[in-house]
Amino acid sequence: MSRGFGLIYAFSDAARSLRGNLATTVLSAFTVAFTLAIFGLFLTLFVNLNAAAGSWGDRTRIAVYIKDGALKKGVDLLEAGIREIPGVRDVRYVSKKEALEILKKELGGNAGVLDGVEPGILPASFEISLDPGFINPSDIRSIVNRLGMFGWVDDVQYGSEWVEKFSAFLRFVEVSALFVGVFLVAATVFIISNTIRLTVYARREEIEIMRYLGAPDLFIKIPFFMEGVAEGVLGGVLALGILFAGRHMLGAYIPPYFGFLLDNPFSPGLLLLIFVASGLVLGGAGSLISMGRFLKV
Amino acid sequence: MIQLFHVYKNYDGGVPALTDITLKIAKGEFVFITGSSGAGKSTLLKIIFGLEAPTGGQAIVDGRNYARIPAYEIPRLRRKIGFIFQDFKLLTNRTVFENVALSLRITGVRPAEVRKRVARALSYVRLQHRANFNPLSLSGGEQQRVAVARALVKEPTILLADEPTGNLDPELAVEMMELFREVNSKGTTVVVATHDQGMIKRLGGRTIALESGRLVG
Repeated sequence: MSRGFGLIYAFSDAARSLRGNLATTVLSAFTVAFTLAIFGLFLTLFVNLNAAAGSWGDRTRIAVYIKDGALKKGVDLLEAGIREIPGVRDVRYVSKKEALEILKKELGGNAGVLDGVEPGILPASFEISLDPGFINPSDIRSIVNRLGMFGWVDDVQYGSEWVEKFSAFLRFVEVSALFVGVFLVAATVFIISNTIRLTVYARREEIEIMRYLGAPDLFIKIPFFMEGVAEGVLGGVLALGILFAGRHMLGAYIPPYFGFLLDNPFSPGLLLLIFVASGLVLGGAGSLISMGRFLKV
Repeated sequence: MIQLFHVYKNYDGGVPALTDITLKIAKGEFVFITGSSGAGKSTLLKIIFGLEAPTGGQAIVDGRNYARIPAYEIPRLRRKIGFIFQDFKLLTNRTVFENVALSLRITGVRPAEVRKRVARALSYVRLQHRANFNPLSLSGGEQQRVAVARALVKEPTILLADEPTGNLDPELAVEMMELFREVNSKGTTVVVATHDQGMIKRLGGRTIALESGRLVG
């Protein structure tokens, strides 16, 4: 007798069993694949939405208008003072001339209305961008209050309504993503473990007979474990295909300005790795857990 | 080899399957357990095999007390015991050869040795020509003989058989019992549960009689 041969038999048994239960293995793999693909789609949407929200936040600007007649030294001092305020990421000086150029660009075809207007009509300003962590109503209000206290500052403007709405939207995205994410992870684990449990349950008699013959636990577990792993890995690979096909199909129905939601935030290789690793862990662990109750014969 | 001390077995419904059974079967003995249907014959065999735990009392087999051995040692003990089930318990997704070979493979016997011993076991039960058949394509009697071959192939120290001739015609039944006698003559302890009184009379030997879960002889 040799333990080595016992293991070889267990592995050859697993290969035989995989061939014999090909239909069940493929069906279970598809269940794993669809579940993982749905989770992958959610992850794609969430990561893209989060990235977009971050870039929208970057567009939050505070404009500090400088009083006419300010001397260069005063403007330099003002800029230095602004840069020292916590939360200020960048400060850009916009001269009177540049302000007019920007306005002309924004008016586009209607820029003609500015013909004959004096170049110095618009005030010079500082355009301030903020660190992402400070883009919320209370921090912005406190920065604006500090800016208002500087000399040479004529007016401070920012899109207060936009900031309020944007903050509320970000909170909504985070809370709902957490809720949906937890729900989806639970559903994924539940569906996959139950699919594997059903395949083990269908063969409980086989496990029972092996126990009667005195088979060691390892001898019984290896084939089922390998089947679970094979189902999980195959499911992971299929999930990538389903996700790409799903995104392609969804892309036809989504308006172009929401197209960014379906961008691929991960490289296909990384996504495949995530899917295969999830399938492997869920399949392997699922089959071992499902078998536990049948081994108590 | 087998010792039971004041063994009781009650199933969940509360019906006593065995009541105060004390018996001793020595190494190398050939014993019939008799009794009508429901007398407790199968339960007694299952307790000896470690499939059922007694509600009370002690069961000691091959020097090991089931109440005291850890769960992981039960498979090791079972490998020394051949059990022929009334319903055969064959794997229907494997061939006859694979069913018989499984008993040896789980203990890691070399492939060449497996082939030799399985061929010999199948020829014992006159089924060598069915080696590559699926058990479902065999008759009830043939399936029973596969179960016998599977139990014998591992050369057990104890052979337990639950109504092993129930599906066989009289000629094959006698042949099967003679096979058991032959196995017994090589030192294996054989315990056969049967209600076939004609068979017992013809073969003779020690008989343990059960009635409503009690020893009556």
